Amino acid sequence: MQPEERAELLALAERAELVELADRSLADGADLRVVVAPEVGCVATQVVEPVARERFLLGDVLACRAEVELDGVRGWSMRLGDDRAAVLAAAVCDAEANAGRPLAGAVAELCRRVAARSAAAEAAEWAALAPTVVAFEELA
Amino acid sequence: MGYSGARGGLEAILAAERHVRHERDHAPVPWAGTEQITARFRLAVDRVMGEAGLYDEPTAAHAFRQAEGDTLEAAHLVRAHRSTLPRLARSEPVDPDEMVVLRRIVPAHRTPDGPQLLGRTSDYTGRLLERPDGPPSPNGQVPAPVAQADGERRPRRFSAMLREMDLLVDHRTGADPEPFDVTRRPARPPAPRSAVLASMARAETGALVGLWYRSILGPDGNIHEVTLGEVRHGRLPLRVRHPHTGRPVRIGTFRATETEALEDLDGAEEDRARFDLGYGLCFGHNERKSIAMANLDVACRRFGASLEQVLLLTIDGLDSGGFLEHLKLPHYVTFRSMVDRKLAVRTTGERVRATDPLGRDCR
Repeated sequence: MQPEERAELLALAERAELVELADRSLADGADLRVVVAPEVGCVATQVVEPVARERFLLGDVLACRAEVELDGVRGWSMRLGDDRAAVLAAAVCDAEANAGRPLAGAVAELCRRVAARSAAAEAAEWAALAPTVVAFEELA
Repeated sequence: MGYSGARGGLEAILAAERHVRHERDHAPVPWAGTEQITARFRLAVDRVMGEAGLYDEPTAAHAFRQAEGDTLEAAHLVRAHRSTLPRLARSEPVDPDEMVVLRRIVPAHRTPDGPQLLGRTSDYTGRLLERPDGPPSPNGQVPAPVAQADGERRPRRFSAMLREMDLLVDHRTGADPEPFDVTRRPARPPAPRSAVLASMARAETGALVGLWYRSILGPDGNIHEVTLGEVRHGRLPLRVRHPHTGRPVRIGTFRATETEALEDLDGAEEDRARFDLGYGLCFGHNERKSIAMANLDVACRRFGASLEQVLLLTIDGLDSGGFLEHLKLPHYVTFRSMVDRKLAVRTTGERVRATDPLGRDCR
């Protein structure tokens, strides 16, 4: 799994599952260094509008990021919202996977679960939306 | 409290604050939790996010509760909060073609590429007030799965077809100037289009709708024929650069409303064989705002500086609302000076002017 894909899925994971996995990761006494402490801030969102294909700044999106080093290997996460514990745990999980440590497989499994959950949610969403597809009649 | 010639009153101000908190937080009814607010008042939450210029549903819900349902006050609270936050990153440019639609209508054409998807709307529902006795009974129905194609969730925009038919004025120059950042300095006319779009995206919804309505039907007389090519509500991906690999990484999605407005060009020196296209995009689900924005985008291009000036100077809710609110502060000294002037006029005898003073003319 590419680091970008893992970061994307860890950004969508639930706080409880991240914290549980991160706690297990650290339980073996691994050397943890917090490189960037969890920080809440904004991501300035630029959009390419389709009329002139020029960028404009739509606004800010609230996000939280953290970076750690686990046994000398870096892990990073950025998630939407302001959950500092979740982003720190996600960074630990990312480092666990990057380092190929014992729970790397569990991190990959968590990512697969998150991906499946996202797909299921999108399918359920479409099941509710599809009946609202309309074909208005045109009056002659 | 210190303000232009008045001070003091601190005890009464603190008592008023306590009164607000007590009546709001200790009302003899169940507490309105943040999830209650985001789930049941989603359009108000979306409006607050859009007008504040910060996308985060819980933050907007907190502000909505604190402001007792006053969306402008809530947007003020969120903007004040946002001003305390660092900027972590600038996103990779978002391509609106990636929007996963939750609703999508094309009023201009019956059978565009992709579906006409009504989604969650009460546009076609009679406005009858419902007065339920209590919460509705649980609905355990789960819709049966429906196969979906990518073209249904990410339909090609209608304007792409018009472009292929060479029916659109082409504003693409290949240039991509650095976008104007309205959070760092105010946009003042003449301003680049990126400043106008950003200002409209976080404008007060009512102000934007009012300005659009005035521009087409009011004294400005900018009569123009607009048809909507797209109205969409959906999710867009937010990506930043991964600090280790340098490649884009998606950190989540945000919901936005998008509109494309088609203008029937018929003015002098306009290409009457083509349509012009206006664009609107704002955070959350706010179709009124997005539609007004798209129409004003075109109108600014066609009717130029005077409309842009009014737009940039008047549509920000914190600007206009703040100025209005300040009128409630003590104006004892300034009003007393007005009274003094009235009395002085009586003594000089010149009660009626021969000409209007500067600034009297108001369209």
